[in-house]
Amino acid sequence: MTITRLGGRLLVTTLAVLVATAPAVAFERAGDRKILVFAGRQEVPTIDPSVKYDWSIRMMQQALYDGLVKYVGNPPEIVPWLAERWEVSPDARTWTFHLVKNARFHNGDPVTAEAVRFSFARTLKLNQGPAWMLSAFLKEDGIKVLGDSTIQFTLTRPYAPFLSFLPWWYVMNPKQVLANQQGDDLGQKWLTSNAAGSGPFRIKRWQQGVLYEIEAVDGYWKGWPSKDHVGGVILKLVREAAAQRAALLRGEADIVEGLSADDFDQVAKTPGIVVPNFPGMTTFGIKMNTQKGPTKDVNFRKAIAYAFDYGALVKIYNGNAVLQTSPFPNATRGHVAVPDFYRQDLAKAKELLARSAHPTGGIELEYVYVQGLEEERKMGLVLIDNLAKLGLKVKMVPLTWPNMVARGAKVETAPDMMAVFTTPVSTDPDAVAYQYHRDSWGKYYGSHFYANEEVWALIERARTLARWEDRAPLYLEIQRRIAADAPEIFGMLANRRWGMRDHVKGFVFSPVRFTGEVDLYSLAITAK
Amino acid sequence: MLFGLLCITFAIARVVPGDPARLAAGPDANEDMVETLRAKYGLDQPVPVQFVRYLRGVLVGDLGQSLRSRNAVADDLLRYFPNTFELVTLSLLLAVALGIPLGMLSAVYKDTWVDHTARIVSVSGVALPAFWLGLMLQLVIALHLGLLPLGGRLPLTASPPEPITHLLLVDALLRGQGDTFVAALRHAVLPVVTLCFPALTSIMRVNRAEMIETLKQDYIQSARAQGFSGLRIVTRYALRNAMIPTLTMIGLRYGWMLGGTVLVETVFDWPGIGLYAVNAAVSSDFQPIMGVTLLIGVNFMLANLLVDFAYGWLDPRIRRPGGA
Repeated sequence: MTITRLGGRLLVTTLAVLVATAPAVAFERAGDRKILVFAGRQEVPTIDPSVKYDWSIRMMQQALYDGLVKYVGNPPEIVPWLAERWEVSPDARTWTFHLVKNARFHNGDPVTAEAVRFSFARTLKLNQGPAWMLSAFLKEDGIKVLGDSTIQFTLTRPYAPFLSFLPWWYVMNPKQVLANQQGDDLGQKWLTSNAAGSGPFRIKRWQQGVLYEIEAVDGYWKGWPSKDHVGGVILKLVREAAAQRAALLRGEADIVEGLSADDFDQVAKTPGIVVPNFPGMTTFGIKMNTQKGPTKDVNFRKAIAYAFDYGALVKIYNGNAVLQTSPFPNATRGHVAVPDFYRQDLAKAKELLARSAHPTGGIELEYVYVQGLEEERKMGLVLIDNLAKLGLKVKMVPLTWPNMVARGAKVETAPDMMAVFTTPVSTDPDAVAYQYHRDSWGKYYGSHFYANEEVWALIERARTLARWEDRAPLYLEIQRRIAADAPEIFGMLANRRWGMRDHVKGFVFSPVRFTGEVDLYSLAITAK
Repeated sequence: MLFGLLCITFAIARVVPGDPARLAAGPDANEDMVETLRAKYGLDQPVPVQFVRYLRGVLVGDLGQSLRSRNAVADDLLRYFPNTFELVTLSLLLAVALGIPLGMLSAVYKDTWVDHTARIVSVSGVALPAFWLGLMLQLVIALHLGLLPLGGRLPLTASPPEPITHLLLVDALLRGQGDTFVAALRHAVLPVVTLCFPALTSIMRVNRAEMIETLKQDYIQSARAQGFSGLRIVTRYALRNAMIPTLTMIGLRYGWMLGGTVLVETVFDWPGIGLYAVNAAVSSDFQPIMGVTLLIGVNFMLANLLVDFAYGWLDPRIRRPGGA
């Protein structure tokens, strides 16, 4: 046999082997369990509930752990979970929670008030992750166990939004955490890739940088919402959007997130694929530096806000977005549509510009956006076109996210305009209002360095009132005043979208979850 | 050289904008939380102190801690490097196995259709960016033809064999897990082809040029006059002399491939140090980036040391002291 013939046969044999072992096009199975495959772009570097959160981390934390309460539905409601009921004192300082009696950690230990105390104290002590939500109001000695199933939090001062942050404070099993402590790390190293929770899933495989597999807990103390609930979930890391899309089309993934607007539209036309499409809580705004440069002038900022073509924002998302009608996202409690909110009005823009220090334009403004984020680049092009009508030039500066955060951290370096997506972590209006407080200066969403003593006083007052009836008028005024000062171009709320195989059922959208995040507990697979 | 590399990477990590502690603390963290992290990881110390601490750590194998995952960088590198090593080694072997014969053929059949075809392939290797080639292969071979997986190292529900060498393919063979070996090989085909292609064409070009020069030498003409077969002249006499520059290219390409894994591993979700470095870079997590750079530097040096030894094996004049 000649070498050419031998090579040819070898090639044919190799191809035959490769084709014969090609993957099946369906969800995965492990015995009689149906395993849902979620192709996500973002790693889960740690699942320690006290250390970090973002959409992918929180999706897994929510699956492995339980909180006292949970956000469910659209509009999001806070529903009892480990706590079956609670009371709050009239001054919003003392919060008492009564736990369910049947909750069990995965190792069989009961979930007790002591476990809740330990978990909250651990997060406060480590001072990482979600600690910022409560650390200004809750100290370790303010957490008291009143019985096996009763726990009381006494805050250092009244704080009405307290409850709205609790869904993200998960309860850990102290025995497991302390048994795996290394030195004085409070179990941090161990909890990076191990769980000590009572949630609906437990860890099956944790291959860092590759995939994370969790399996459903049979006899989960809370029960399952569907008999067809998923038997497990594999979060497979697929970094490229093109590969995510291909995985969905090939049936190698049941859910994908993070595709472009065009890709979502395209996969939605494919038989067997659905694209849930809901308005989210993530605002897109172009923050303007209110303390330096030409944008320091409120008339100048307003001129820009009136020159901007808001309709273009919706077009960039192929219609899958809604314009902001207030500085607060629509799903925020107390949101009101501010009358005469900013929309394109060139006559008004020119009139306002005439009142500024640059009545005829003639200057260049810097627009900083995230390198590689196509939507933000397109928004910059819209700005160039719109502001040219005012005689203003726009210099587009793409930066990596860390560099952009660094630029926005100081008033001296914060650019004239910076494109920012912001997702509030709670539905309480304080979570958004506080982005305009001086304490938010230096954070990416505080790169406007907005200063208004009266607004700050209103924000500080509103968060201390227990009764919503007393708070609501204050938030109305806060929205109105922030809008009047135009610290940013208030843009739009892009819809949250996922590409999903149609055998996936039970998807429950809640806008308070981060972009990409899914509540895995309610998911079911109906296909045989 | 390694000390220089350490100095440069450390300096770059400290001068680029961005506050690693703030990024690690998260977007909502308050100043107190940022300072807690800064102190915990020694970022509140003067830069010279940080450098001395880093050097001391490197000497005992402690490459610091990732601010993103809070893992020890050395542990992460031990986890990810075997995957990269397999990818680069397979790619290089394939590049050498195809590049040298193609270069030889191209030289022997100079200015014929064989040569022209080989040169077109060679130019393509330089012109096509690795990420584009990778995406195209995914699109055509994986998505449309369904012949191979899109990415990763194993099917979703397959578990890797118990590690012996930490090299998946080798471990699968050693454990007698034929199915796992075939599955891992299927997953390796597209990334290996993508990474190997530019190297293959470089090796081919250099080998072709050297072979053309060598085939003009007097001793080759003499061999022909003595009636030696063409195959023997090319493979035994010409190739050996043409291999010195080709070996240099192979050594250089090994280093390039280690760097090239950044793109290829990202496209194919190959869990190696390239992907690890990308994830660290986007979050300004400098300890892993410095660890990866150091590891690539060490490997590059070792590869070139091997090439130096190979020179001596190929050409006895080199291994003789004062040999000409």
